Amino acid sequence: MRRAIALVLLLATAALVTTSGGQEPRSIGFAFGFALIAAALAGDLFERMRLPRITGYLLFGMLCGPFAANIISRPMARELTLVNGLAIALIAFMAGLELNLRRLRPRLRGILEIGAIQLGLLYAGLFSLGWLAWPWLPILPDATGATRVTLALLLATLVVSFSPTVTIAVIADSRARGPLSELVLALVVITDLALIVLFTLTMQAARWSLGEGTTEDVSLLARLAWEIAGSFAFGGIVGSLFAFYLRHVGREVTLMLLALCVVLSQVGTLFHFEPLLAALAAGLVVENIAPPDGDALKDAVERGALPVLVVFFAAAGASLHLDALGSIGLIALAVSAVRLALIRVGGYLGSRVAGLDPAIAGLSWMGLVSQAGVTLGLTIIVSSEFPEWGARVQTLMVSLIALHEFVGPVLFRAALARAGEIGKMEE
Amino acid sequence: MTNPPDDRRDPSSDSDSRSGASAGGGAEGGARHGHPRDRTGSAADTASVTTGTRGRTRGGAPDAGLTGVDRAAAARWHASRELGGHDPLDPAFFPALSPADAATDAADADADGWRQPAADDGRAGVSGLQRVTRRLRTQAAFGLAPALAPALLFVPLGFLLGPPGLNLLPAHALEHLDPVISVGLAALGVFVGLALGRRPHWDARLFVAASLEAIVTVLVVLAALLALLQAWQMPITVPAIAVALALGVSASASSAVSGGRPGSPHNLASRIADLDDVVPIAIGAWAIALIAHGGFWNAWTQVAFTLLLGLSVGVIGWLLIERAHSVAERGVFVAGSLALAGGASAYLSLSPLLAGLAAGMFWNWSPGRADVIVRADLQKFQHPLVVLMLLAAGASLQFSLGALWLFAPFVAFRFAGKLAGGWIASRLAPSFAPADLGKYLLAPGLLGIGFALNMHQHLPPAEGITLLTAVVIGTLASEGVALFFTPVEERA
Repeated sequence: MRRAIALVLLLATAALVTTSGGQEPRSIGFAFGFALIAAALAGDLFERMRLPRITGYLLFGMLCGPFAANIISRPMARELTLVNGLAIALIAFMAGLELNLRRLRPRLRGILEIGAIQLGLLYAGLFSLGWLAWPWLPILPDATGATRVTLALLLATLVVSFSPTVTIAVIADSRARGPLSELVLALVVITDLALIVLFTLTMQAARWSLGEGTTEDVSLLARLAWEIAGSFAFGGIVGSLFAFYLRHVGREVTLMLLALCVVLSQVGTLFHFEPLLAALAAGLVVENIAPPDGDALKDAVERGALPVLVVFFAAAGASLHLDALGSIGLIALAVSAVRLALIRVGGYLGSRVAGLDPAIAGLSWMGLVSQAGVTLGLTIIVSSEFPEWGARVQTLMVSLIALHEFVGPVLFRAALARAGEIGKMEE
Repeated sequence: MTNPPDDRRDPSSDSDSRSGASAGGGAEGGARHGHPRDRTGSAADTASVTTGTRGRTRGGAPDAGLTGVDRAAAARWHASRELGGHDPLDPAFFPALSPADAATDAADADADGWRQPAADDGRAGVSGLQRVTRRLRTQAAFGLAPALAPALLFVPLGFLLGPPGLNLLPAHALEHLDPVISVGLAALGVFVGLALGRRPHWDARLFVAASLEAIVTVLVVLAALLALLQAWQMPITVPAIAVALALGVSASASSAVSGGRPGSPHNLASRIADLDDVVPIAIGAWAIALIAHGGFWNAWTQVAFTLLLGLSVGVIGWLLIERAHSVAERGVFVAGSLALAGGASAYLSLSPLLAGLAAGMFWNWSPGRADVIVRADLQKFQHPLVVLMLLAAGASLQFSLGALWLFAPFVAFRFAGKLAGGWIASRLAPSFAPADLGKYLLAPGLLGIGFALNMHQHLPPAEGITLLTAVVIGTLASEGVALFFTPVEERA
């Protein structure tokens, strides 16, 4: 009851403040405070309904965002996304901390097999669908021959992609630990790595088929190698320094953790490193090479993660283009249904082939539905490079992300609950 | 009127108030506030938030709403070395606080149930430099552990890192720090509100004396600088009274000599320094409203709106903070409340200090133990916020003729105002205000810089920078001036 009263009072205060007309450049603090409290309350409400908290954060952002109640205006939503870099780095770092390679090693082969089956099936199914339905898709209906093949491949790559961010967030939020959490996390990270490589190759193919490729593009693979290997190296170095700090200084760990994420997200991008990969590598180093003594890091992660996750997903919800969903909703629904079916089939086949515990492997598909940051990032690259038809791809993908951002966490949390892993992080 | 104020205090509320973080000099104390806590080996104050010992004295249910897991997490949280804890800079730079001193301080703290070391007791064999650092270290407010004024360290560091120096903190980075400064100001306001204390600890007569002292300082600086601004015909685009008022408000902040036995002049002056920020914050809020919104009466309306906003944040926080399901969630609510108070004020061009003050006062005087929880949680944000504000202040400095012209009268008339204000307050309330009260309040602390940063956000750029520079270097100079005027009790 107290929470309901607080939420009502908060909404009334926010409405009063926004209608009083302030200075937009100074809205970040207000938007941050409002989103932090209100989204946390919405997340709590969802948890009571046995739904993921992050779905609550997203829904709150969507309802209060510029496309609905407009309490968080468009400039405010843009300001809130300033935390994105920090949030993605923190989330990936947490993923690294959860991946204990020694524990994973016996199951690595099975994980790779499930990943290969999922990727192969999704690629084959979505490419076939895209190629066959191409004349009816509102992208570039006149494309034929090699162009149509490469564009269908590119679209399939985007639609296949998963969301490490949401996966980690759901695990952290529900304080889950166990074989399913580790399996899904490893699957998502490995397949997304493969997808980033595949995306680069299909983008190159699309350029050539559209006659936009140049001889300079030969360096693309070198650039890709630099990005991936460099990101891991950079993250490894930063992670080692952080592990050294934890072991020998160990003070103000929350502050240092946030500073680490700022370095990984901001400094890394100056050298074209991928923050997600760098932060993942940093977490892997800390967990697997120099694990800290005591609970200082665990406490710092607990304290730092919640506000960052709340604001990150509330901002994501406020930035969701509901208008896109309205304009292309039916096609998006159809594509989403096919993707979901393929993931389900892939999960079934994978669990039979991989030789892992079938009860766990059979649930893994439920953790692969989410889509968010990585997909959006790849979509934006397509949109900015091919503005003519890329914008239409973006509309379709944004609609898909909107759907999967809501459905994915609900499914994954249900799977974690079924596997009995929720709340196990504390044990 | 006859009983010494300390005799009437509720020990639990007293220690509550004193364990708080601070504005003014208090914030600086708070930046190192962890010293005694770490020395005594347990985070007793903050742990009591979890164990509910203080909650019982306040009538709140101990650990209400916390599960066993939450309690364990809370205990880990409080026991871990975290923000607001021991500051490694202090022993590294200022060895005056040796292990022997620390042991004595801890004994002092235990003896009176407070964590504040006693003021300089004149122990033999200390060097001149040690005396200076120890003297500086004793300046704190709001019952915090005395610490070396961080303005002396971080303002020059900010200047070195800023555009005039190495440019590692360029102008666009300072713009990004603006929201953080607003939130930091709201946090200072909350500290001031919390430091007022609860009844019976809260004493109206002390509050009147403290406010009187502050008003006299504001009036002296305001009148002098208004006259000088008009005499010099400085080229400013805002009304001269707004600039003079801003300087007066910035001059009124003080961080008293802390420590001393209960009821001693030290102790009372420290308490007066806790209370003398309330009226200047209100005047400052009015000045900001006047600058940003214009109109004498409209400014009062905006002040009322700021109070409403702060109270609203206070109520929201009060409803949520005590019943948080976990320590992490509680941190979210505390941080959200601060961001809301600071952010909404900045968005509407109001005073974050006043909004924070209203929220802090509400938490202080509302049922339950929200004040204790907020204070404990804020201490974790305090150090980085204070450091960021001081670095931003240092990096924003631009030495101009105008700033240098304002600096000297700011220091001189602040000195005069503090002495006059202290004298008048002690005449009106001789039973509890020491005769040389002004000398105790000469050290300015951090809140004056906070006022200036706030004014800088709303004044036109040229005037804002001039005012900020004058106040910041004036604050540093006033810290130096305070070293040369030792109150009678200290000399004894």
